[in-house]
Amino acid sequence: MLFPTVDFAIFFVLVFVGHWLLNHLERPWKWFMIAASYVFYGWWNWRFVPLLIGVSAMAQLGAIAVSRARSPRLRLVVNGIAVALLLVPLAFFKYYGFLAVNVTNSFIALGMGYSLPLLQVVLPVGISFFTFMAISYVVDVYRGDFEVAGWTDTFLYLAFFPHLVAGPIVRPGELIPQIRERRDERHVDVAGASWLILGGLFKKVVVSSFLAAAIVDPVFGDPAVSSGPDALFAILGYAIVIYADFSGYTDIAIGVARLLGFRFPLNFDRPYAATSIQDFWRRWHMTLSRWLRDYLYIPLGGNRRGTRRTYINVMVTMVLGGLWHGAAWTFVFWGAYHGALLAVHQWRVRRGDVRDPDSGVAVLRRSAATFGLVCVGWVFFRADSMETAFVLLGRLVTGWATPTEFVTPMVVFTVAGMLALQYWPKSLGLWVQSGLSRLRPAPMGIVLSIALLAIVTLGPTGVAPFIYFQF
Amino acid sequence: MSASETTQIHQPRERGARFGRRLMPAGRVLVVLLVTLLVWTLLYAPSMKRAADASPLGIRRTVSLAVLTPFAALSEWTGIGELAGAIERATGKEAGSQGGPFVPPPEDIPLAPRTPDEEGPGTGQNGGPGGNGNGGTNGNPDGGPNGGDGGATAEADSIRAPTPRQKLRVVIVGDSLAAGLGFFAERVFRPRLVVVSGQGRISTGLARPDYFNWPFTMHRIVDRFDPDLVIVMLGENDHQSLQTVQGHRDAPIGTSSWPTAYRERVEGMMRIATSQGAKVVWAGLPVSANRDLREHSLRQNAIFERAAESVDGVTYFDAWDRFRAPKGGYTAYVREAGRVILIRAADGLHFNAVGYTILAREIAKRASEEFGLSPRTFETAI
Repeated sequence: MLFPTVDFAIFFVLVFVGHWLLNHLERPWKWFMIAASYVFYGWWNWRFVPLLIGVSAMAQLGAIAVSRARSPRLRLVVNGIAVALLLVPLAFFKYYGFLAVNVTNSFIALGMGYSLPLLQVVLPVGISFFTFMAISYVVDVYRGDFEVAGWTDTFLYLAFFPHLVAGPIVRPGELIPQIRERRDERHVDVAGASWLILGGLFKKVVVSSFLAAAIVDPVFGDPAVSSGPDALFAILGYAIVIYADFSGYTDIAIGVARLLGFRFPLNFDRPYAATSIQDFWRRWHMTLSRWLRDYLYIPLGGNRRGTRRTYINVMVTMVLGGLWHGAAWTFVFWGAYHGALLAVHQWRVRRGDVRDPDSGVAVLRRSAATFGLVCVGWVFFRADSMETAFVLLGRLVTGWATPTEFVTPMVVFTVAGMLALQYWPKSLGLWVQSGLSRLRPAPMGIVLSIALLAIVTLGPTGVAPFIYFQF
Repeated sequence: MSASETTQIHQPRERGARFGRRLMPAGRVLVVLLVTLLVWTLLYAPSMKRAADASPLGIRRTVSLAVLTPFAALSEWTGIGELAGAIERATGKEAGSQGGPFVPPPEDIPLAPRTPDEEGPGTGQNGGPGGNGNGGTNGNPDGGPNGGDGGATAEADSIRAPTPRQKLRVVIVGDSLAAGLGFFAERVFRPRLVVVSGQGRISTGLARPDYFNWPFTMHRIVDRFDPDLVIVMLGENDHQSLQTVQGHRDAPIGTSSWPTAYRERVEGMMRIATSQGAKVVWAGLPVSANRDLREHSLRQNAIFERAAESVDGVTYFDAWDRFRAPKGGYTAYVREAGRVILIRAADGLHFNAVGYTILAREIAKRASEEFGLSPRTFETAI
């Protein structure tokens, strides 16, 4: 089930009622929320619900086994086995097709008649997110950061529907205590939640859809004939598209959780206002960044094993982070590119070359440079091949004699507006939320409806989820 | 804007004092949700009811209609539904309830070149009388009804031979499959000799002209772009009742009137596409991973094929047969030049970049076999 659909609206109203009615009954509430989360997940494809149950059971058994292992060495081994087992489904669903094709073609090249079964494995929605959370749980138990939770707590922690599809990646220490506590039904932050949900919808339905259709898809689809300005704004536009799409979805997730009395960590914090590449990764997909840091970079040794090893660890972490996005050289390059940028940044910091910007102009200059570097990376992230990426980057140099086809005033306005909003004062949003919170329920409902109407009106014509297929 | 960025993580028991945000009991929040949902439903009930009416038969459709019918009546009675329609009309959109298509026809259809250079007699390398670059064996001897600009006539059997100054015009129309095909056709057809215009529109078909009117759009494309070759690929969204432009039901899905009415629409589309001499390759639906869709898709393909046989200047390309598994079902892979290649997208319906490229090449080959499209105009390898 996707958030911006009628199906979800009806589902959520029903779950909202059940959630608050059962709030004071611990066990029935937990079973109700687990069942609701499985309905949410199974709505897309019920065949994958057993997978979610299986990963949850594996995480719980792994955590129990780790906690019962007596010697440190045995704990380490059990932890390793549990993490490896949790990674098996993710590896299969994500990389089997890539592996099967390459192995089969290797056999063909060697003149051998063997072939792995050529299955087109459908990636279950959210598998990365609940796998990462399951690993967090087992490793946190191994490290002694978290006690083994009850079965229902673990199952609900992994399946809780607001974070299930696209995060944020919530740690057990952040969510399980909230599952155990009774939520305060007298104090629901409806204004803050509405602001998050409407803002997320605006970003996803209006901004992301518009820029993707208006310039990004056409130019990335055939970069060889694009003009320099088209290439430039397609790259800038994609930076906005991926930000609006992803942060919009997680904003909705955080808002939905807030209506149920839960607090999720932030996932994006004005990433394009970052003044260095390290700062960017502290602001972009924050819950994944810290997951990679805590469960990959630090176990590799982090920065504790000398300068050279630190750079290697950064590179390994970022390349694996890139590969996680998909089995393609473009993602590997994207990860390696960011790894190299981070390594260079750390090297410059060690040399004392990086100082805090001392003026607003310096901040803007550093932000612009960082944004430019990030945009180059996005080209490889979005392109369907390395060739496409290099062709598009080449058009930035060679395409200025070609007539511009896709850069319109609205494209320029949207890109510029979204970048300007990276510097939007936080107080403005809080002021709007404060005003909204003072309305009585019925007027607030009407205001929210009008805001939804505005979003649909501003969105591209025929946004499918609302009319043609998604009913 | 990033909403999540402007709000600190909030402690519910603080009553929002820090930011002056008042918190609300869950019962009142439920009222907010219900009012929002009610107003929203009243605004969009008429269009949602029409969408439900045209959706495939089944429990979902039945329940949707049962719920929406009273809301739609209330919406129309109170005039609230008109508000949404008025706003959308004011912003250049039609809600469909007023008899027009929901998605307006595209405004970005390129114009066929009309410069003297391109229209003048004998300007092309193969230029003959009529000045349309038709000196080759595939040429059009008359120059066509479009001022000798290179358009073929309805009588001609072949697509004219292009030159760099008198490029062929190829347009790809249809649904999301055509949209993808349009992108990658530009890589297959050689830009020195061919102008490609991708006019695919997602979520469209022939069943719902109240949503997107393909016959009208096809007329406009023919008038403006004057294509030499039209590639059509649509039908995946047509597994539903046929509606009129005004949004009234024409032929319900699952009834005996549906195939006849659908074939009329297909043939109508073909006649419009060929009305000024263009040749048409109509690509059938490829086998999809969803077994539930296959039977209907096969019936649609049979309609496309028979219609193509009955309209001059149209040929049918069997995408089903070309991309099916050796034993008949769905496969996401093909063997190409001694290698196994993934060609389908993860949704089991669309193609990936390589798949669309192969599809475009196969269609170009078909046009070459049937209509003499010059092999110089497209890449034969991927």
